[in-house]
Amino acid sequence: MIMPFLGNSPGTLQSPETTLSELLDPPWLVVVHNDPVNLMSYVSMVFQRVFGWSRERAQRHMMEVHTKGRSVVWSGGREQAELIVQHLHGFLLLATLERAPE
Amino acid sequence: MIFELSKSGNPLFREIHPLLAGLLRTIVEDPWERYPEGSTRLLPPPGDNEEICLDWQDHVQPDLRRHFDSERTAVERDLEAMKQGNGKKTPFTLEIPRQNVDAWLVTLNVIRLALSTEFQLGETELNGLRTSDSPLDLTTARGLALVQVNLFAFMQECIISSMDGYVDDTEMG
Repeated sequence: MIMPFLGNSPGTLQSPETTLSELLDPPWLVVVHNDPVNLMSYVSMVFQRVFGWSRERAQRHMMEVHTKGRSVVWSGGREQAELIVQHLHGFLLLATLERAPE
Repeated sequence: MIFELSKSGNPLFREIHPLLAGLLRTIVEDPWERYPEGSTRLLPPPGDNEEICLDWQDHVQPDLRRHFDSERTAVERDLEAMKQGNGKKTPFTLEIPRQNVDAWLVTLNVIRLALSTEFQLGETELNGLRTSDSPLDLTTARGLALVQVNLFAFMQECIISSMDGYVDDTEMG
């Protein structure tokens, strides 16, 4: 079963296993894209569940997805980015990972 | 259908008309079998990177599918426990154990996305806005799908509202 990711903030979270190359490479971004079927309340709930955000922060990102079509919700190493995207897909959110612009 | 919290604090739907109870049972149909085109939305690619996508297909998507199947099984057990009053035409009562709330939210979302994609339901229709070009015709599979998507959205909103600790008697005729 997919467990929620308990992060304190969406900033660059580093684990002891972070390699030097990950520190030097441009980070990976986790982006959530708009899907008109997903309820706004549901998207906010998922953000709170996956990232441990406050309701206000979750709603801010949810509104960004809703009005601008996408929101960057996390940046950091590739492995963690993939894990976060998997968690978000587990809740049926449209999420992708992409390289941050250099 | 009326939503409230049970004495145990679980999400509870009561006065569920038998017709709606029948629609509820469609939640646990296997979307991959029932809606093959619609189910393409359930396992989207993680981006444009070819290497990541190939790895995703081999390892992550099977895990996600097992996750969705597992959540659906939990929901199916709760639906089997749905209680009906005396008589075939009496309403049902459905109580959702708190530990299954996520399973319900995910499973409701699976079926909503599969239906919306299968029948190409547009944003205008999903928001309940009708035009002369898109009459609501419940005699068609597409019309029925729109009813299901909106019914299941109502249930999701109710369940989420209970998670915030806020409840009012949310009634759906």
